[in-house]
Amino acid sequence: MTESKTITLNMGPHHPATHGVLRLIVELDGETIVKATPYIGYLHRGIEKIAESKLFQQVIPLTDRLDYAAASANNIGYCLAAEKLMGLEVPKRAQYLRVIMAEFARIMGHHLWLGTHALDIGAMTVIFYTFRDREMIMDINEEIAGYRLTPTFFRIGGVAQDTTPDFIKKVRDFVKWFPKALEGYHTLLTENKIWTTRTMNIGKISAEEAVNYGLTGPSLRGSGVAYDIRKAFPYSSYDDFDFQIPVGENGDVYDRYLVRMEEFKQSINIISQAIENLPEGPVHADSPWITNPATTDAQNDISALIRRFMMHTKGPTAPKGEVYAAVEGAKGELGFYLVGDGTEHPYRLKIRSSCFYLASALPRLLVGHMVADAIAIIGSLDVVLGEIDR
Amino acid sequence: MAVKTVIDAIGKIHPDSIIKQCETQGICEITLAADAFFEVMTLLHEHKPFPFDMLTDILGIDRMPRTPRFDLVYLLLSTKNFTRLIVRMEIDEGQDVPSVSSIWHSADWAEREVFDLMGIPFSNHPNLQRILMWENFEGHPLRKDFPLEGKDFDKPFDPTTIQDYC
Amino acid sequence: MGIETQLIGDNVLVTNLNKLVNWGRSNSVWPCTFGLACCALEMIASTLANFDISRFGSEVFRPSPRQSDLLIVAGTVTKKMSVMVKRVYDQMADPKWVIAMGSCSSCGGIFQSYAVVQGVDQIIPVDVYIPGCPPRPEAVLAGLMKIQEKIRTEKLNQRPDFKTGLF
Repeated sequence: MTESKTITLNMGPHHPATHGVLRLIVELDGETIVKATPYIGYLHRGIEKIAESKLFQQVIPLTDRLDYAAASANNIGYCLAAEKLMGLEVPKRAQYLRVIMAEFARIMGHHLWLGTHALDIGAMTVIFYTFRDREMIMDINEEIAGYRLTPTFFRIGGVAQDTTPDFIKKVRDFVKWFPKALEGYHTLLTENKIWTTRTMNIGKISAEEAVNYGLTGPSLRGSGVAYDIRKAFPYSSYDDFDFQIPVGENGDVYDRYLVRMEEFKQSINIISQAIENLPEGPVHADSPWITNPATTDAQNDISALIRRFMMHTKGPTAPKGEVYAAVEGAKGELGFYLVGDGTEHPYRLKIRSSCFYLASALPRLLVGHMVADAIAIIGSLDVVLGEIDR
Repeated sequence: MAVKTVIDAIGKIHPDSIIKQCETQGICEITLAADAFFEVMTLLHEHKPFPFDMLTDILGIDRMPRTPRFDLVYLLLSTKNFTRLIVRMEIDEGQDVPSVSSIWHSADWAEREVFDLMGIPFSNHPNLQRILMWENFEGHPLRKDFPLEGKDFDKPFDPTTIQDYC
Repeated sequence: MGIETQLIGDNVLVTNLNKLVNWGRSNSVWPCTFGLACCALEMIASTLANFDISRFGSEVFRPSPRQSDLLIVAGTVTKKMSVMVKRVYDQMADPKWVIAMGSCSSCGGIFQSYAVVQGVDQIIPVDVYIPGCPPRPEAVLAGLMKIQEKIRTEKLNQRPDFKTGLF
């Protein structure tokens, strides 16, 4: 008698289309997936354990490397948690600068998503255009922070330094240029028959299931739930700006694509409002145990010199307590649970990563589809392994 | 406040389960006793008019040398009216915790991670395996008595010692 | 491993053959896509329009190790992933070269912890190290040029034979 068995296919950690070192073991009945199991941990670097032995400001570069596609959006969460724990008030100018850098990071992350998602499905032209725009944003990063991909521009209590005149000019030029580029992406993909056939009705998930699986960000909003932390729990002056939250209907790959394309528009809207209304003032909180005294002060005043030395070697001290601060990263809710114990090291830092829960929903999303659709679904969830594995 | 009504409702049905109640940085927090834990979590999930339908995260904190050693913290969120709730439980080394993965699917991987990195076992979990470390890794890295650089840091690394699930 | 390793002597035929082979190998180094972490994004940026690695001959990044000459280890090598790195390196056909791109694969980077291999040269032999976190795409191109220089100065009968256990 004939007996049918399933084929086990390993989409291994070394794979051009899994967006990093994600490993999927799928069982196939012909070409259809009947069971999928993701294996993660191939990029687990122990960031949470390393943070327990570092000073508070030394953890900021580590958080940059979580969602490395949109680096500045991670820093803002950690800085918020540390400031809540220490009871610091960030000045308005620094908050607006943080919003500008975070929204640029979101645009950068979405550019990477668009290019690689389209590349996996077969539309190879898009990635050249998206990376052209990404280079412009990396120029802006370099102008103000000194580095392209992982700027580490924020500090506990504010930002590292004030803007340069070139920065404001470059931001304004980008805000003027970007709507034309966005129109270009829409003409390439949105009404393209091949794109819609490959992405409509694929990877559908309903709103209740999406909430139960812990999905957040554009993947949740594609299913119809209007949960965005910038509106639900506003932080860093986001309630000063006028923007909308795009929400989808069907919860399939095409809706998640449309949600992210609309988020491009809303982000550039926020940046243009922030750069036009940038308030004057200091860019760092003025508390004697947090602010680093300027070099001229340290050279002339002995107490400023002592404070500068203590800041660099010991850093700020947090009181005993626990705090949870969440921000809207490019992929969803990025939360930091910080436990302080009265010393200058964090006692425990737990990172609530949005992509961890997106990847945990893969067994539910992939079943019933074909292998080629699996690539489209992984691309639409936009997983970045640095955040999953920490 | 809306969360207070939920807490009062729980207090009526399971009177001894809530040990402590406080508010940290604007988020309400309750500490539960271990015996009615699963029932209280089910109540929180099914409470009307606004159920806590998303389990945002589960984390463990090692408070060595205090006994009970671990703090297990659950972060809950209600997407209907955007309120958060922190649920805490203090458990001892080796004490079994009922898994909430039958209530919220997001608990599946979160509990696996707590088991892997802290060593807290969960009962009734569909697949309690290591998730971030490899299969024959010894120890639980995030415990306070585990060294940061791991064991055998000064010896050269040999990839043949790694044995994984597949 | 190939008849060219058995050539004896330094006469004009052998040196010219050497030059021809090295010219061919150095101007068409095909990398294998092995992006692990953040450095992968700068590697991708170096292949696209702004920095354009294909003018150096590395037009195509092959996903299969059997069809590539160069393994650019871009990103942190964790202990769990080290098994795969070794496997991919072993699957590549000779002649092959390795670039350790970024601080994490050169020496462990900022992650000195229980799960990270402190440098990929503990597992596979590395030819060029590119420091940076992540290195700029121009640095990646400079590293590629160094590999090309290295290939141009190789002698055919002195390539290390990987079967004899030198590595």
